[in-house]
Amino acid sequence: MTAEIGQAAIYLSVLSGLWAIVFLSIGLRSRNQNAVRSGRNAVVGTFILISIATGALIYGFVTNDFSMRYVVEVSSAAQPLLYKITALWGRMSGSLLFWLWLLTLAGVIVVWQNHRYNKETHDTLADYALIPIVVVQLFFIVLVTGLIEGVYNPLARFPNGQMAPDGAGMNPLLQTPSMAFHPPTLYIGWISLTVPFAFAVGALASGRIGSDWILRSRRWTLFSWIILTIGITLGGNWAYRELGWGGYWAWDPVENASFMPWLLCTAYLHSVMIQEKRSMLKLWNILLITLAFQFTLLGTFITRSGIISSVHAFAQSDIGGYFLGFILASTAGVIGLIIFRWKRLKSVNRLESLLSRESAFLLNNWLLVGLTLIILWGTLWPIISEAINGQKASVPEAFFNQVVIIPGLLLLFLTGAGPIISWKKITANNFRRMFLVPIVVGLISGALTWGFLALKGNTFPIYSVLCVSVSVFVIVAIFAEFYRGAKLRAKRQEISFLNGLSLLIQRNKRRYGGYIIHIGIVILYIGIMGSKGYFLLESKSMRLGESMEVGSFELTMTDSFQKEYANYNRAGVVFDIAKNGKQIGKMEPARNFYFKAGQGEQDTIESAIRHFGVNDLYIALGDLPPNINGGDVVNVQVYHNPLIGVVWIGVAIMVLGGIVAIAEKSQHSRDV
Amino acid sequence: MPNQKRLKIAAASIILLIGMVFLGFAVLKKTSIRHFTPALLVEDKGKMDNQLVQVDGLISEGSSKWDTANFELTFAVRDRESSATVNVIYKDRLKPDNFTDGGSVFVEGRYDATQNLIIASKLMTKCASKYEGAESATPTDETSYISQ
Repeated sequence: MTAEIGQAAIYLSVLSGLWAIVFLSIGLRSRNQNAVRSGRNAVVGTFILISIATGALIYGFVTNDFSMRYVVEVSSAAQPLLYKITALWGRMSGSLLFWLWLLTLAGVIVVWQNHRYNKETHDTLADYALIPIVVVQLFFIVLVTGLIEGVYNPLARFPNGQMAPDGAGMNPLLQTPSMAFHPPTLYIGWISLTVPFAFAVGALASGRIGSDWILRSRRWTLFSWIILTIGITLGGNWAYRELGWGGYWAWDPVENASFMPWLLCTAYLHSVMIQEKRSMLKLWNILLITLAFQFTLLGTFITRSGIISSVHAFAQSDIGGYFLGFILASTAGVIGLIIFRWKRLKSVNRLESLLSRESAFLLNNWLLVGLTLIILWGTLWPIISEAINGQKASVPEAFFNQVVIIPGLLLLFLTGAGPIISWKKITANNFRRMFLVPIVVGLISGALTWGFLALKGNTFPIYSVLCVSVSVFVIVAIFAEFYRGAKLRAKRQEISFLNGLSLLIQRNKRRYGGYIIHIGIVILYIGIMGSKGYFLLESKSMRLGESMEVGSFELTMTDSFQKEYANYNRAGVVFDIAKNGKQIGKMEPARNFYFKAGQGEQDTIESAIRHFGVNDLYIALGDLPPNINGGDVVNVQVYHNPLIGVVWIGVAIMVLGGIVAIAEKSQHSRDV
Repeated sequence: MPNQKRLKIAAASIILLIGMVFLGFAVLKKTSIRHFTPALLVEDKGKMDNQLVQVDGLISEGSSKWDTANFELTFAVRDRESSATVNVIYKDRLKPDNFTDGGSVFVEGRYDATQNLIIASKLMTKCASKYEGAESATPTDETSYISQ
């Protein structure tokens, strides 16, 4: 009965969605407050209905209702409760429902925020923004009704009262905490981008093209950026720990699909500052947030349409076509509104010099958008090449690794130069005061790095030298900004330097939060440089008692073990680890053998990872032979990943900076 | 704003744009690899000898052999629509998770046409249920949960 109630709720939500669009449109056009209120209530109603549907599906998982097709496909009776619940987004139908639920939640939050905001003022911008949000909701509602080809209703039961004895179970690779939370984190990030996009559309529709729509959706954009940063990193961290290949990023189309909206969101967060400060780039900001939103849908199109080969195997269905259709239709709608409002989109000011903060922001935008388009180009090249010359091509990791270096280094430079260059035009005084010391220190660090790496046998480590040099420039430039500001505050208020620093950040959270993010980015770059550029990999077939060397580590295989768990067995070997001849501990790489794994029995690599400061020693095992203690050979792969810990630290600092920045309350301009 | 300044900004933007486009094209030309199905690779054998290729197909049932002593995996990748196969050797690397008979696989490496063999440098499995499978399960046929 619960599933039927859930299904009914989905069908009813079509009506509540339509109700919201019609009443909001009529109410806003005729300034009828009652109609607008009714439209808002319908948005809340849709959320309640979709919550009922989502709750019904979760109830099906928890009660092991194996008459429900979706429950059978992703859950099983023995599955731990956490993974029964996370099975909600384990496959396509459920993830669409979950996406929809989050989207309806976003709608309700916008209504609630608007309610609070309108206590002081009667403002219609958020009501305008609700309409595109509901349009996107309706698209997802139609997808989960099960009425269209290619997707079935996640609450559907098997026909004729059939029931499976047990479910197929979730793939064991997904039964880890980071994989449980990686997809919803990305969804939340993507969905949050719908709100600033909706505000942009609302601004176009209402004719209020000033900065108000940006300010009112600023926290949504930053929230989205923070969550996407976390989500992408969780995916990389999961791949690193679970897949046994020692890496965390492989430029797979699905990874690219999550990275491209992040890049565009980053570009947008910068370009809006120019609109706020200098009333420039109005059109560009609308286009950028539209692009960022469309790229969140494009990701689904890429993964679901099957047009691009990816190691991420999502079910391929007609759904990709629906997404493409929706992307094209909604883009056409935005372009139509832009043409309609063309005259109001003109900038008040123009760039005054190529060497100014505005230009630095603009260059940052060009590079981020350019990088996004190059990544899109590489991602779509297999189908483009097939369309042009009939030959299918594959774009390996090397393309992306090479193509990002130069724009990446330029962007890194801008994270330091942007905050210290003056608005309008750089002056000789500004250059001397702000740039001279960071540049000199950066150059000295680069030279020292060159010398250090040359001593280690690297003859021409140009990119590493540039990376360190620019990183040090950025760090010095930003720390100097903190230092100058804190010192000034301390002097003015007659307080200590540390109190001055704390006050400085509190009074301007957005600016200094942004600088903290920049510091995080520098640290991330150093981590990527070390872990991607200087890792060691050794493979060996070993018997018990044998040793192998990786860098300064010596690993001796001393024992084997077997353990039994509820839904899997674990078997592995024990390594004694010595560094520079001194024993430092043990590591136990293994393989897990799952009894029920979504595809029958499966075994998975369970790498052993040990942290030595920010460096990792990483051991993975091949298929285990039957008699290790009797002298059978075990295949061992060992990585030494230098500075990989710095990658995670860098991201953590970026997130911290984002949290500081989001804490600043938006100041609303009144620009009707 | 004086025209000269506007010109400078336009010129800088165009240079950046050309630079990005050039980067995209040049690196792609240098790094992209021809992608084949086993049937097409066998057909193009003569032209592709000693070339880097990527092949996408299924792991031929019963063909895979894991030689623990030599740390070496050998198997055949089968075409999805015909009987064509290409042999693969993958050395000194672990067999990826989800490497099962009949499963989808991507192989990247140098092709030896005389032996119809790819010396693989990269091997990726694609498991239908890694994130999810085709949605076709019925309660009466349990094996259909295992769908590609």
